[in-house]
Amino acid sequence: MRNAGGYAFTFDVGGIRQEADSFTCAHCNRIVIVKPKCDPMDLGGMCRLCDKMICPACVNLGHCDPLEKKLERAEAKDRALRSYGL
Amino acid sequence: MAKYSITNGSTSGGGTQQSMTTTYVGAILGLSSSTTTPRRFKIYDVLIGTNGVPADNFVEWDISRITASSTTTVLAAQPLDPADATALTVATVNSSTFGTITTGSNVFYVGVNQRASYRWVAAPGGELVAPATSSAGFQLRARSGGYTGTATGTFHFEEQ
Repeated sequence: MRNAGGYAFTFDVGGIRQEADSFTCAHCNRIVIVKPKCDPMDLGGMCRLCDKMICPACVNLGHCDPLEKKLERAEAKDRALRSYGL
Repeated sequence: MAKYSITNGSTSGGGTQQSMTTTYVGAILGLSSSTTTPRRFKIYDVLIGTNGVPADNFVEWDISRITASSTTTVLAAQPLDPADATALTVATVNSSTFGTITTGSNVFYVGVNQRASYRWVAAPGGELVAPATSSAGFQLRARSGGYTGTATGTFHFEEQ
């Protein structure tokens, strides 16, 4: 795939047995291995709001909640709890 | 941004590698943000394999998000550049128990033959990212229906 988000290798005694591109879901951070010649519909999809690849589970949710926003929410909550001494 | 490596290999003080069972019973590797000085970190390289007697079995590997790390052996992650400071991220290895795993949060799941080893490496922007919140991070686990030996794992990560 173009602009792959990662690469996976399987090795055994015979050397590299399988190689595949991967992408990382822009909403939940899940790694999706792109199997050779698989149906694109099985891989997930492209979010039309953040314009990034997302995994099948996030496609089914039907809304855009980018990982960066999730991280910012978690960090803000943690900062608030710290400020309260919790 | 400093880069670090952590492995469950035979490092002094690294505890005992845990045998695999049909269910997840422990964590091979874990990384979590410090409770006092949390910092975002990104896992960009994962290497997994087994080190028992070779045979044909499947092994399932899983990386899930955690909100608290397991309490067992803590190791200092090694900086890939020796000039870098000690990692603030907490690394746990060879744990017989889990931390607190967020339900349905597995970000990596792959089934691999026991004879094979597996490597996943992220392109820039494709890393597994943990928030800079107290004890948040990732844990690597494995289970197998036939293999009862031990497993190996390595994470490379960078701190923000």
